[in-house]
Amino acid sequence: MSHAQSHLSRRALMKGMLATAGGGMVMNWGGLTGSAALAAEVRKQKKHCIYLFMNGGASQLETFDMKPGRPTGGPFRPIDTNVTGVKVCELMPYMAKQMDKVAVIRSMRTSEVDHPGGIHLMHTGYRASANVRFPEIGAIVAKYQGTVGADLPDFVKVSTVGSSGSGFLGPKYLPFGIGSDGNLPTFAVSNMDATKEAKRHDLRAFVDNQFATETKSEVAKMHIEGYEAARRLQKGRTAFKIDAEWDKYKELYGDSEFGRRCLLARKLVESGVAFIEVGQSSYDTHSDNATGHRGLLPPMEQAWAGLLTDLKDRGLLEKTLVVWAGEIGRTPYINNRAGRDHYVRCWSTALAGCGIKGGQAYGMSDENGIDVKENPVPEGDFFATIYKALSIDPTTENYAGLRPVPLAPFGSKVVKALLG
Amino acid sequence: MFNPSKSKLRYQLVLEGSWPTAVAFLGAGRLAAGNQLGQIFVWNLPEKPPEFKVEPKAERQAPNVWPVRRLDGHTNEISRLVATPDGKHIASASYDRTLRLWPTGALAAGKAEVVLDEDARKRAARRIGKKEPSNDPGVTVETQTACKVLEGHKEWVYALGISRDGTRLISGDAASNVIVWAVDSQKQVAKWTGHSWNWIVAASLSPDGKTALVSENRYKRDDFDVPAPGLKLWDAATGKETLDLMKVQFPKLNTADRTYGGSQLWRKFVAAGLIATAYSPDGKLVAAGQGGETDTGIVHILDAATGKLVRDMSAHKEGITDLLFSSDGKHLVTAGRDTTVRISRVEDGKEVAVLGSPRGGQFKDWFSAVALSPDERFLAATDIAGLVHVWEFEG
Repeated sequence: MSHAQSHLSRRALMKGMLATAGGGMVMNWGGLTGSAALAAEVRKQKKHCIYLFMNGGASQLETFDMKPGRPTGGPFRPIDTNVTGVKVCELMPYMAKQMDKVAVIRSMRTSEVDHPGGIHLMHTGYRASANVRFPEIGAIVAKYQGTVGADLPDFVKVSTVGSSGSGFLGPKYLPFGIGSDGNLPTFAVSNMDATKEAKRHDLRAFVDNQFATETKSEVAKMHIEGYEAARRLQKGRTAFKIDAEWDKYKELYGDSEFGRRCLLARKLVESGVAFIEVGQSSYDTHSDNATGHRGLLPPMEQAWAGLLTDLKDRGLLEKTLVVWAGEIGRTPYINNRAGRDHYVRCWSTALAGCGIKGGQAYGMSDENGIDVKENPVPEGDFFATIYKALSIDPTTENYAGLRPVPLAPFGSKVVKALLG
Repeated sequence: MFNPSKSKLRYQLVLEGSWPTAVAFLGAGRLAAGNQLGQIFVWNLPEKPPEFKVEPKAERQAPNVWPVRRLDGHTNEISRLVATPDGKHIASASYDRTLRLWPTGALAAGKAEVVLDEDARKRAARRIGKKEPSNDPGVTVETQTACKVLEGHKEWVYALGISRDGTRLISGDAASNVIVWAVDSQKQVAKWTGHSWNWIVAASLSPDGKTALVSENRYKRDDFDVPAPGLKLWDAATGKETLDLMKVQFPKLNTADRTYGGSQLWRKFVAAGLIATAYSPDGKLVAAGQGGETDTGIVHILDAATGKLVRDMSAHKEGITDLLFSSDGKHLVTAGRDTTVRISRVEDGKEVAVLGSPRGGQFKDWFSAVALSPDERFLAATDIAGLVHVWEFEG
């Protein structure tokens, strides 16, 4: 019996297929009839997640796992933080004052060493597969923590990467992409006269509904829902306007594009959006790693610290998980381009808020940062812990066609020490 | 008179274990080089090099001489070294946020054994199948701690320059601060700040010490957040801006711009940063060279009075790391990431000599700094592979 067959049951089979009027079978977007009750229950928690994604792979040795005085150490020096015994890079003075809120994981050991694979892995918890289109974490959080019928999308990506989208969960949970400046795309705003637009909408809705009813097409229903969501966005679009407020928050978040994106993320959380991913590019420092990190880290860490402060001050941090990670780490040894290459045997990520036990460095690397010395955290455990913090059972299964797929890979463990 | 047409590699000084990053001559036959650990070593080069037989296909082409002294004090990378014209002082800038002024005639504080051929020992161990390299004794050097510490920078000091008469130093840091120092009193003469988002990556003083040429740059904050760089002349006594050289090149440049679109205006001119600068000895020209990992390390020669571009020259295959004018102002000497030193005529930009050779492939070490001896008979270049190459000109 194959691995897939061993997990099949009649119930699963029924969940995995939807009959059409013509008797054919269509794709079941994650088991539409299955986990609705569970999702409704989880949704009551109203938790949010902000994923700060360091595209290209930030260096653990220039952030949270420094090796001063070792051959792998590089030119930066560690500084004390507001947590005794936890040190961070001198490039992170703002975050040094926030470490009581943050749990650093210094023992990530993941399985994809290059960018496309790593980006997929650190967005889904799974290695890419030709057979299954895994959904990104944002789509999963949107499904379980999103607000039905909300004006704003449940899954927003601001200047970031990752092409998996909603995968087998279907178009309902696709990400809503925002550009690097945090503004809505121009096509998101209707310039049509409101009366005229309403008339057009009524006509289009009539035709769409007729078609969906006659064909019993799930895809057509999805199309209608997508259109409705786009119309509702018109009502909530002020949440995306940050220009007027920017002067007030510039000092807190730092005067950078990443700072603006983080302010937008906070505003979207406040407006009820379940999942927001905020990206920063250019960490792939195969050459001039120190120069690159000196350029990239200060605006990022100030914005991150500002975000934590702002969330805390507004009472949102208890219900908002802030995840900091890239797709890979960087090599301990510095190459002859003064750079660090890709490395996944031992690297760092960080979590804060939403029940995460801050003020700790979990796991340990060896003296040169080459290997994990204590408590390795593979990608599955990382995602399982994130889901658990968001009150989503990581063993919950959705269906990719006939195949049950848990949110975190089979066998993944929640790292309980990271949860308060 | 500087005549680079004929040269011979006289020494390859071994400085392994930490990348050599800076070099300066202290006088005829006396040389100093710094490394990433913050150590500075001093060599007395014999007038006649030791006997040396070049092995076929061997990388080593010239003999080694061990250093005689180590200057102890810095705790992080040496970014630049300069010597006063009389050779009595050497000034060092470091990522430890200080400058140090070392009297070259100071008495030794003690002695230390140092291993400077660490890489060679590892290679030798590997050849015979051993895991651990030989722990044979290293060489004994004098140690010197006597120096004046110049404090005032709160960030890594990237830039260091000296006036022609040796009475003034200029330094710049990663917090955009520029300080002009009096060498005799070690006091600050002037201090100013460039654009707050930039780092001071290169600074030079005019021959009369009255004007400062300062290059500001920073790595992007994101692909869509790229602060504009700066290249300006300043009054070295008052810290007042006298000429914005970038504005002369690009009148439409908005110095407060940080958009990707805005960066397209200056990207070709600046590349990854104008990380090395110099004034010509007559003060009429300034040079600013593209560093970092770029396709071409071009040096812009600008008119110091008008800021207008005179010519571009000395195209290395990757970015440059250091540059200087010969004392007659007729030649420009550049070191680069293509493991070459290139010497070009200033009047027409023609390259007249190339010392060293690219090691093959795109990324094979680099030369990190270059210096000419006061009599311009010797040229030294530090090589991150763990060597200091010394050529002699036979003109």
